[in-house]
Amino acid sequence: MRGQKLPSEIGQFVAPISSLLDGAWQRMHWWVATMAVLYALSGITIVKSDEVAVVLRWGHLVGDTPALQEHGPGLLFAFPRPVDEVVRVQVKRVWEVAVTTLASGDYTAASSASPQTRQGPVPEPENEDADEELMSPIPGNTLDPLTQGYALTGDENIVHAEMVARYRVRDPGEWAFYGPKAEDVLRVEVTAAMIRSLGEMGVDRVLSDGRKDLIAQAARRAQAGLDASHSGLELSSLELTRLAPPFALVEDFDAVQSAFISAETDKKDAQAYRESAVPAVQAEMDSQNQAARGATSNALAVAHGDAEAFRALDREYRANPAVVRERLYRDAVDRALASASKIRWVPPPIGGSYRGMRITVGQSETGP
Amino acid sequence: MVDAMRTQRWLRAVVGTLALLAIIFSATAVVVREGQAVLITRFGRPLRAATQAGLHWKLPWPIDAEISLDMRRRVYETGQTEMLTRDKKNIIARTFVVWRIGDPLTFTQSIGNEGAAEGKLDGLMTNAAIGTLGGHDLSALVSTNPSDLQVDQIESELLASTAPMALRNYGVTVEQIRLDRLALPAENVTAVFGQMRAERRQFAAKFEAEGQREASRIRSEADLEAARIRAKGSEEQARILGESAAQVARVYADAHKIDPELYRFTRSLDSLDKLVTNNTSLILRTDSEPFSLLQNKGGK
Repeated sequence: MRGQKLPSEIGQFVAPISSLLDGAWQRMHWWVATMAVLYALSGITIVKSDEVAVVLRWGHLVGDTPALQEHGPGLLFAFPRPVDEVVRVQVKRVWEVAVTTLASGDYTAASSASPQTRQGPVPEPENEDADEELMSPIPGNTLDPLTQGYALTGDENIVHAEMVARYRVRDPGEWAFYGPKAEDVLRVEVTAAMIRSLGEMGVDRVLSDGRKDLIAQAARRAQAGLDASHSGLELSSLELTRLAPPFALVEDFDAVQSAFISAETDKKDAQAYRESAVPAVQAEMDSQNQAARGATSNALAVAHGDAEAFRALDREYRANPAVVRERLYRDAVDRALASASKIRWVPPPIGGSYRGMRITVGQSETGP
Repeated sequence: MVDAMRTQRWLRAVVGTLALLAIIFSATAVVVREGQAVLITRFGRPLRAATQAGLHWKLPWPIDAEISLDMRRRVYETGQTEMLTRDKKNIIARTFVVWRIGDPLTFTQSIGNEGAAEGKLDGLMTNAAIGTLGGHDLSALVSTNPSDLQVDQIESELLASTAPMALRNYGVTVEQIRLDRLALPAENVTAVFGQMRAERRQFAAKFEAEGQREASRIRSEADLEAARIRAKGSEEQARILGESAAQVARVYADAHKIDPELYRFTRSLDSLDKLVTNNTSLILRTDSEPFSLLQNKGGK
């Protein structure tokens, strides 16, 4: 009896609902069917070219390894919510964050009003006047550690640094569900890496040839920190946009730079002198040597000529000694008579000697 | 007709069952998403924490209720604190902490929210930093000598002294602690500036002196090199001229030795040529040639 009565009571209770559903189904069954189909297809997602997607099934990440978890660009078939949830992550896009926590207010206040510098535990100025003070150049002989960022170098000098960190998502699962906020973790990890790296190098190395090492070291440490904090991020590049001594010491650092340049100029001038003076002397000596060789050749040629002439004369002399000798003698006498400016003729001596004969050397025209 | 009625009845049963299952599912299922935890309470009393992502179950409301907790890691920077190092130097340090909820039950009961957790961490960290840095010299933090630096050790000490307490007392897991600020009190900066300035002047003077010394050395070397080249050149010229004179002498000797008598005769005539110039006055006897030829009418 009870078994037969119970259904009729339920039937009486369900009947109005049933008739209502019947009525609704009669009128809207196409709509309901369409909505049901659309719901069934709502899990299908298009993953764009710069994205990967991961699927949560009942909240749990599908796939045991990152390779199995990540779905590349294209059509992704998933169940509709609440069964599956598709999370898309832009993995190819490179993001950028300016890190100005070690920058001095006097250099960068005007340009560093980025959210990264405004948030964080550095106390904000309490009133407008304080804010204006931060914005104005500070030529003073000190730095306020609460409002002005800087780092200590290994030799306990002070430098200001501004950086730009570029990053992308490397592990979408970790970044989307477990990692800290990207900009927060980047700012602190990069800052920590930079103060650590600056703290082991001297200021001169940092400001000159050590800059490249500094950036490499800081980037390596920052990436290690990002990995340790399970951020899922990869530091694509770390750029040091400004690295400078305190404003109050700029002139002193410039003076060192000027002294260095001046010293280099002195050295280069001296090198230029060496480069010109030594070759000039070498050229002069080469020229004189060449002249000496020329003179030698000439003298030798003359000697050979004279020798040949002497041999020819000798041949003639051997053939006709008296005639040649006489001709040579006569030619010589002729040349002597032609060359002499004055010739005086005197009579032969009487008795083998000249008596009372006077020879005047000089202006006298008178003969003996 | 009967078939249509039967189909309609079957359809109703299916829809009704699905609706009933959906209602039961939504009342009892707890979906724990990756990066989340759910604390299930029974009549307000914490029962268990579902920390593994996936599907979990509970009794329907009002018996059981759920509290969702964000298990993502967070970054918190402490305030800047002035402290004294072992070598009695004042420094201002700041640390940052990477933390997450480690024990949802303890966290909910002892703190309840993120802001309060960070307040607790700040106190813990500041005390730990003062204690830890007080046991090290400043050179353990900044030094150009790698053997002095102990930053890794200091950060490990900070982690060791705070992480167990944070987990036990607040249900917070501290995963990483690092120093992200080292500064000096304003009054000490003035002294550092003075030191830096003196160092710069010293460097400037050193560069200038070194530049002048090096330039002078280069010039002297150049002068010395020039003198060496000049001496070598002079020596070379002397050698060339000497060799030349010897060769010339040899050529003349080779020629003259075939008839020394003729050589002497021609040399005498050459001497006569050189002896009689346009400044020479000759005194000749009238009985010598050529004057005598005039007197004798052609030498007869």
